[in-house]
Parts: sequence; C-alpha cells; structure tokens
Amino acid sequence: MLNVLMLGIGQCGNRILDAVNRQSFGGSSKLSKYYSRQKFPSRVETLAINTAVNDLKELKFTAAKDRFHVPNLHGVGANRSLGKQGFWDNREMIMEEIEKRGDFDVAFVMTSASGGTGSSFAPLVIHELKNRYKNITIVAVIVLPFREEGSIYLQNAAFSMRDIMEVDCDGIILVDNQYLKRLSGDIKTAYDRINEMVAERILFLIESLDSEMLSVTDLGDFKTVMRGGLRMGTLGFFEADKKTPTLTSAIEGSIKPGGLLYPAEVYEDAARAMIIIQGSREYLDVDEITKAVEKLSTKMGQVFKGIVIKKGRPKVLSVFTLAQVPDLELLYSQAAQAIQDEKSRKTKAKKQLDDAFAYIEDLEEVY
Amino acid sequence: MGLIYITVFALLAVSMMLAPMASAASEDEAEYSEMITRDFSFRVGEGVRIGDYRVELTNVVSVMDGLIEVKAWKRASQFEDWRVMESRRDVNLDGGQDRGGLTLMVTEIFDRDTVRMRATYRSDYGYPEKYITERAMAPRSLPKLEVSTSLDKSIVRSGEEVKVTITVRNVGNDTARDVALQELPPLPQFRYIAGYPPKIKNQLQPGESDMAIYSMVAVTEGEVTIPATGVRYADSKATIYSDRSKDVSIDIKPKRRPDLVMEVQTPGPIDHGGQGIINVSIRNDGDGTAQRVEVRGQVRSGGDGLRLEAGSLDRIFFEIPPGGVEVYSAAAVGARGGSYAVNLKATYQGEGEMMQEETAFEVSVLERKHKYLYYLPVVPALIIGVWLYRRYKEYKY
Repeated sequence: MLNVLMLGIGQCGNRILDAVNRQSFGGSSKLSKYYSRQKFPSRVETLAINTAVNDLKELKFTAAKDRFHVPNLHGVGANRSLGKQGFWDNREMIMEEIEKRGDFDVAFVMTSASGGTGSSFAPLVIHELKNRYKNITIVAVIVLPFREEGSIYLQNAAFSMRDIMEVDCDGIILVDNQYLKRLSGDIKTAYDRINEMVAERILFLIESLDSEMLSVTDLGDFKTVMRGGLRMGTLGFFEADKKTPTLTSAIEGSIKPGGLLYPAEVYEDAARAMIIIQGSREYLDVDEITKAVEKLSTKMGQVFKGIVIKKGRPKVLSVFTLAQVPDLELLYSQAAQAIQDEKSRKTKAKKQLDDAFAYIEDLEEVY
Repeated sequence: MGLIYITVFALLAVSMMLAPMASAASEDEAEYSEMITRDFSFRVGEGVRIGDYRVELTNVVSVMDGLIEVKAWKRASQFEDWRVMESRRDVNLDGGQDRGGLTLMVTEIFDRDTVRMRATYRSDYGYPEKYITERAMAPRSLPKLEVSTSLDKSIVRSGEEVKVTITVRNVGNDTARDVALQELPPLPQFRYIAGYPPKIKNQLQPGESDMAIYSMVAVTEGEVTIPATGVRYADSKATIYSDRSKDVSIDIKPKRRPDLVMEVQTPGPIDHGGQGIINVSIRNDGDGTAQRVEVRGQVRSGGDGLRLEAGSLDRIFFEIPPGGVEVYSAAAVGARGGSYAVNLKATYQGEGEMMQEETAFEVSVLERKHKYLYYLPVVPALIIGVWLYRRYKEYKY
C-alpha cells in the first residue's frame, strides 16, 4: 500500500485538496462528510497549509486537524519574499506537522504558481521533504493563473516554476486555469470544476498505482514518466460513454487537448507517458489496448500502460511529460513583460514621488 | 127460708159428693201435667226454690271427679234428702219428675264453689228461684291453695339457663293436706339440669306458702308455652281439691354468635420490586364476642412472586366485642410479575364453639419495566447527533 502525502499550499492548493477530500467521501453532496467516511485507495494523509486563516476556514471537507495555519501571518499579499520569510520563520513547525503524519512514498504538492503563500512555500516545502524523506517521489501539481489576473501573479508563476524545478522535484503536473476556464462561464464555477477535475485524476492515479493490475504499472513507472522530458507534464482523462463506447476512442480521448489539464499536442510534445485504463473486463481488450499504446509509443517513445479491472465503462487516465512546452515560453515572456511593466510603473511612480518631494527639499515645517 | 136451708144443704151435699171426683180429677191433672227443664247455676251455700222444693248446694266434693253434695227438702212435707251427685247423672228426688218430684243432673262443675245444674219437673212449679242459705252465711273452714308458675326471664337465648319458680300458697282457713304437684312430662325444648321434678311441702297451714325451683337450659329456638302447674290437696274431711296456675310463655332467641367480617383493601398493581400496603379490617357484625381470634394470611399460588413480610398478615386478637373493629396493615413486595391470590383465614371462638371466616383477594405485580426500551428511539438519534457533532467538530476550523 502506498503511503501518500497530499499537501495543499495556499488558497488554490487548499481548494484542490478540499476537492480531493470531498471526492474521497464518495459523493458530491455537501453533507457527505456527515454520513460517510473518506475512502482513499491508499494510506493518504492530507494537509492544507496557508498563511491566511480565512482561506483555511473556507474548506468544507478537510478535517480541522489537517488544516495548518502558519502562525502570526494573515496572508502574504502575493509577495513571495514575505512568503519565503514566513516559511523560514516557521519551517520546523510546518515540517513537524508533516512529519508527525508518518513516512511517505509519494507526495503531491498542490499549489498555485501565482499566489503568495503557495508559490513561495511550495519550492521550500519540496526541498525540505527531499531532505527529510529519502526515496520519496514528489510531484508538484502547479496551477497556472489566468493571464489577465495581474502582473504579480504572472511573475510569481514564472519564479515559482523555476524554484520548483531547481529543488529537484520529480515532476510537475501543470494545470492551466487559462486553458480550462472554457469549462464554465463564470470564474467561480470554473475554479470549482478545475479543482474537481484535478482531484478526480489524482485520486484515479493513486488508486491505479495501488491496485492489482492486469498490466502492471507502479510508482516507479510513474516516477520514470514524471522525470522524462522537461519534468513537466499534465493529466488527461476520458470516460467512455454510449457515444464513444470503444476502448480505442477512450484512450485517444484521454490524450486529446479537450481532456487535458494543460494545452499540449501529446503526439508531438510528449516525452513519456503512462496510460491507465480502468473498466469492466468485457470492455478491456488487451490487444486493442496494446495496439493503441503501440501507436502512442511510436510517436512518444516510452509509454507505460496499466489496466485495472473495475466495474463500469472504461475510464482512461493519461499521464505524460512534455519534451517541449510552447505555452510555457509564452507564459514566461508574458511574465517578463509584466515584470518590466511593473518595474517601469514603479520607477515612474518613484520619480513622480521624488519630484514632488523636491519641492519641499531644504524646507522646514513652520508653525 | 127452709128452702134456702134446703138449697144450701143440697149444695153442700152435692159438693160433698163432687169433692172426691174433683180430687180424682186433680190427680189426673197432675199425672198429665207438662214437664219442663230448667238450667241454673248456684254456689256453695246457695239454694234454689222450685215449687215447694228446696235444693241447696252444700259442697263441691271434687271438681276433677265431678262430685257435689246437695241437700233437698220439701216445704210442709216430710221430704228431706242429702245426696252426693255425680256429674252428668240424673238423680230423682222425691220420686222424680214422674211422681211430682224433681229430677236433677249436674251439667258442669266450674270450680270448688260453683256448679251448673239441670232440673226437670212439673211446669206448674214455676221457675227456679235462688236464695242464700243460712249455712252460707257462716264462715267455712276449708283449705284453698293458689298455685302460680313464674320464670326468672321471659326471653332467653338458646343455651341459656332459665329458672322456673312454682309457688303454692294456702289462702284458705284450713290446713291443706296431701299437697302434691302434678307431674308434667319434661318439655323437649329444654334440658333440665336441677330441681326437677319440683317438690313442695305435703301440708300447708292457712297462710303458709311453699315454692319449688328448678332450672333448665333452652336447647331450641322459638316461643314455648310452659303448661300450667296443677296442685292437689285435701281438707280435713279428706275432700280432695285441686288448683292450677296459668300457662307461661317464654321466647327462646337464637344463641349469641359473633360474626367476623374481613375486609381487605388491596394496593393497586405493585411495581416489580416495589412494595404495596394491604389494609385488613376485621369487624364483628354478630351479637357475641369473638374470642381468641387468630388471623393467618397465605399467598395461594406462585407465592414466590409476591413476598409478604414475614408474618405480616398474621395477627392474634384476644377478643373482638360485638361491633368492634380491628384494623392492621401488612406490606407486600412484588418479586415477579403476575396476579397472586392471597388467602386470609380467621379462626375464632364464639359461645363455646370454634368458628372461622375466610376471604381471598388478589394482588397484581407489574412486569419488570424495561425502562431502557424507552431510550431505544433516543439512542440512535443520540448516536447520530454525537456522530454529526463529532464530524462537525472534526471539520470545524
């Protein structure tokens, strides 16, 4: 059985974690936490970390003991420098809170790349986890912001991504709000839908990695996939229905852009992949699966496949890392432009202020 | 004148000739005169005139034997006779009615002084006329006994003793001799215990009295008439007399008996393991005292389900007078659910005989109350409530 640590850091990470907890109750009802128990496929420990206590209070399905408020902070105001300082000031307390939950094989660190707490805490937490837990596989689930959300968010995303890559994270699963906002008309619903999608796919992944498979994939395969390419990837998901009842169409659906959390052309951009298929035995034709996977392998290289027999129509989760991320460059260019704009605005403002103050230079107050 | 003399002479001669004929005619007339019968009563010392005859009652020799003594005589004649007459037997005096005399018969002797008599004689003698004789004027020297019977109580209870007193007093002016009470057979309504048959003196001087007392116990119930007591005695001439007292009645009531009535006030259903009070009231509704009253209480069936505190229903009372009430209470503990019959028996002594009164009553014991059953609907709600609260607290930050 896998020992899984799921950390939700910052407001976004907290909400994804809450969605995970909500789905673990097995129902979508708001009252499910009162009549049901969490059913994780593995030993899963969740912890929501935030500097803003109000964000923690917003959580509905995460137990109080699994919410950690960094003391003496009321958010960091999207300021990563304040966030980092807050982490270092409370590092032992934070890590102790994690360590008392036991040993882990894999950790998912879920956060937004653009916020203050998550973007600043996540690289440091990953670094500390790597130091304190040997052989742990750490995968960061990074949510990229809407591009129009603001210049600070963009620069936070840029620097945060870099920091995470520098602390030897085993892989990053990208979730792009900009890409996924098409799912719903309003932002609030879109956020909720995105969180649900992420939670569903991660739980599917954990369940599959910890199940007896007809065709075996395991945590090691997952780690190999995540460490491929840029060590950045995303998740695709497809559930067959009456319109697309075949297994092949389900596999293809899982890697089509419409089923991804981050925009990518899998056949062209993917470096390594893992296809996990779950469904009733009558749907699972190994030959058909093998052919489909072979088709992917010819273009991507290494593709791991896992088959889990479970009652129901076929569900396919695709995990892949990318060899190239065109949108990432765009993001960074936007971030650089935003930094420049921010810098020029600041310089201009400072100059205006200095000019204003020049009027009273060498003067004293007279009463 | 000579003619007158001759006529007178002739008339005398004719009359002298006709005189014997007239005499013969009167004799014929007497011989064929009508007879009448008259009844009359008279007392000793009284006489009755019938024509020239005089009949005087000199003595009633014996009332019981129906013997009287009369003296009869005829005025202007040699006829005088003393006769002892027997009741209901004709006595011809001076030849009897057929010869111009009297025929007498004693029809009834009322007592030692008064007699009713019937006389048959020629109708021309007229009605009997009563008169007082010289003998009656003089005081008589005769004994006369009066006898009376009395009881010491007129109402007795069956089983009680009654004393009968027979008093004989000589109210005459002569000694009563050979005085003896007539023996009467014992009455079946009584058991004679002392002094029976009664005896009195053999002789009683004038003014002397004697009494005999005997005791008897009433053995039956109802009104009983004790027959008159008779006494016989004789005077100096050995003439026998008798007298009787009056009948006396006595009312024999039933025996005094105690009658105990037991009333039990039972408690309502006793809770399982609870205690109930049984109130017992013993009332004597009889007219006799109940003595040595012993009350015993016992649970008849399934006794272990209802426990009476040791001996609590058992009581002993020395006596309970008529109208008296004894009340006591006992505690019963319900050990098992059910209905239990309790028997209460009182034995007592009344007027020498053992009696008993019995009653039964039921005491219900409720089944054990499983109070926790009432909490059963609450428990799930409580569990759910606790569960929800714990969950709420678990997720409340």
